[in-house]
Amino acid sequence: MLKNIVSLLLIFSFCNFTDAQTTSAALKEETNIYERVYDAPLQVVGQQSATFDELYAQRPVILALIFTRCTGICNPFLVKLKETLQFKDGDNSFRVLVLSFDPRDNMNDMHRLAQNLGLDGNEQWAFAITENISELTQSVSFDPVWDSARQQFDHDALLVGINKEGYITKKLIGLRERGDLDLLIGSINNVFVPTYRLPNQNMLFSCFNYDPVTGKNKPGLGLIFLALPAVLTASLLISISLLVRRSRRRKVHLN
Amino acid sequence: MESKKLKKITAVWIIVVLTLFVISIVLGILMRLNQGGVLHHAPITFYSNMTIHGITMIGIWFVAGMAGINYLMERYVKTSYSANLIALILTVIGVLMLWAVTLIGKFHTAWTFLYPLPLRVMWAQWATPVFLVAMSILTTGWLIWGISMMTQVLKKYSIPQAFAWQHFKKDPAVKTPPFILISMITLVGVVTCLLVAVVLMALYFAEYFSKGSFVNDALLMKNLTYFFGHTIANEMLYLGLAVIYELFSEVGEKPKWKTTWYVALAWNFTLIFILTAFLHHLYMDFVQPEGFQIVGQIASYMASLPAAAVTVFSVWVAVYRIKIKWTLTNLLFFIGVAGWVIGGFGAVIDATISNNIVLHNTQWVPAHFHTYNILGNVLFSLGFFYWFSIQFTDKVVSEKFSKLILSLLIIGGAGFLLAFYIGGADSIPRRFSNYPAEFTTAKPLANIGAAFATIYLIPILILFYNISKRCLKILFPSS
Repeated sequence: MLKNIVSLLLIFSFCNFTDAQTTSAALKEETNIYERVYDAPLQVVGQQSATFDELYAQRPVILALIFTRCTGICNPFLVKLKETLQFKDGDNSFRVLVLSFDPRDNMNDMHRLAQNLGLDGNEQWAFAITENISELTQSVSFDPVWDSARQQFDHDALLVGINKEGYITKKLIGLRERGDLDLLIGSINNVFVPTYRLPNQNMLFSCFNYDPVTGKNKPGLGLIFLALPAVLTASLLISISLLVRRSRRRKVHLN
Repeated sequence: MESKKLKKITAVWIIVVLTLFVISIVLGILMRLNQGGVLHHAPITFYSNMTIHGITMIGIWFVAGMAGINYLMERYVKTSYSANLIALILTVIGVLMLWAVTLIGKFHTAWTFLYPLPLRVMWAQWATPVFLVAMSILTTGWLIWGISMMTQVLKKYSIPQAFAWQHFKKDPAVKTPPFILISMITLVGVVTCLLVAVVLMALYFAEYFSKGSFVNDALLMKNLTYFFGHTIANEMLYLGLAVIYELFSEVGEKPKWKTTWYVALAWNFTLIFILTAFLHHLYMDFVQPEGFQIVGQIASYMASLPAAAVTVFSVWVAVYRIKIKWTLTNLLFFIGVAGWVIGGFGAVIDATISNNIVLHNTQWVPAHFHTYNILGNVLFSLGFFYWFSIQFTDKVVSEKFSKLILSLLIIGGAGFLLAFYIGGADSIPRRFSNYPAEFTTAKPLANIGAAFATIYLIPILILFYNISKRCLKILFPSS
């Protein structure tokens, strides 16, 4: 119980932080979709060394990028992920790969992390490190920035969905709820996932504006553009007809 | 009557259209051979060819229809030579730019240039802005031409008369010729979809030059693209039908067809519904509200069925147990109507939501639109071209090759289309440059299609030679 309360407190305390991160221009959920993830050699806790493609070929992967010395988002991120994924307990249609992006982390660090989370030996979870972390993070557009003052990486909470062919099918940024994770698991299993565009201030003429609170679409300015040509043609037709009639009358009058 | 200048400019249109048609057929055959594994083009070459094939075919058969109605409209109203000439010049410029963009710049978005493809530059940097400029040039030229013809009709007929509304009552004082009715209905549709293209191009330019400070809504852009693309592809068919309503009986040496209440009603239906039928292209877009999808299906039926019914009825009544003079012109028209109806039937099947779930983006799609084009609209325009070319020749025109031409057109066309239809029924996706082994029938069908398309090309070359030769004589009478 106490653990849950502490976790929740930690999660809430980092909510603003993650929100701020999601707005960063460099990291977008739309980037790298349908691109291949880098095939890095992995050292997986409690398993033989394998390459990434050997791992995702067995079953689709949800990649979570963290580092064990993280005093920020990593722990609440993993705790929240573990709790949210309880609805998929025993489901072997995916595997969560917790991968350290900190070169200082070793297998012992990752093993300890797995134990602390109570996920040591859990079939659904794997904890790993790799020597080629920069190539891998680059392939998913994950760009942690080292802050020497805090001796910490400044980074986002990113989940990357990878299907059995190694393609990135969906990305989630921040701490996400069950519904989003369900869509992520569907997408890595090649199930069609409906989505809607993210709010964008630069998009002035949407046909419909999605309201995440009500889950409904409201008509937008873009619909005017659809009707405009027909209205313009009708106006043109009437204007030409009036002008032609006027000029005909003028001619009759002159004659 | 038709002026000398109009005669000459129509001859130029015909030569331009036929030349580009032959080249585009060759590109189509190359694509099918590539899909069949006989050729091994790089995917970029395939998609560049597909882009230029699509854009050229749509463009040339649209201008062919426009040139046809412009020429025949002179029988009723004075048309503007300047507008016709501007359209010709801008079309030539636009087409040259588009060919440069695809062949040199390797622009390959397909003719539908669905958003955001043109802005995701995977070709020469200059190709995207030049493509947008070329499309704007074509739109401008055609808009001027369309509005000009619409104005000329309105100089003689009021709006209700141009749309034949007086025919809903008995014994109308003013009789609207069917040619004027269909031309006017079509021109209104043409002008509307060209205005849609203006909006579309403006939005593309805005995003291209804003460097990220303005982005478009993908749903709006897709709606606009098909509002323009679907509508213009359909309107060009109706331009051809206007020509048939004018010439079919005349060539057969029978009295001219008249506008009746049901002809007027059917074509007014077409005017209303053709502008919303494009919504059937967005059945797979779950963000499009369900109401729009239903409108799309209803409009698809209402836009095509009444016009098809009255046209088939008119043609049937004109030939059934009636001795008429058959020439290559009205035979092409007759077969064209059959091809249009068969292709239209295929289109309505695909536009039915429950079927579209199965047929969407399969080879059924190129099957149906190629049907009402190569065995429909193309034959309408070829009929007009042939009729036009023999109007001004002193020699007696021999029609000894007519049977051969028609047989090869039908055999080549039907075989080519059947390969697409069988592919569609077999769920073979369209627009693949190469087919993986899983689609076992895709390659043989593509090669069969290419072989029959080559057969289809033979009569086209014969017609191209004969018609162009006569058109050149119209242009250069002394030679």
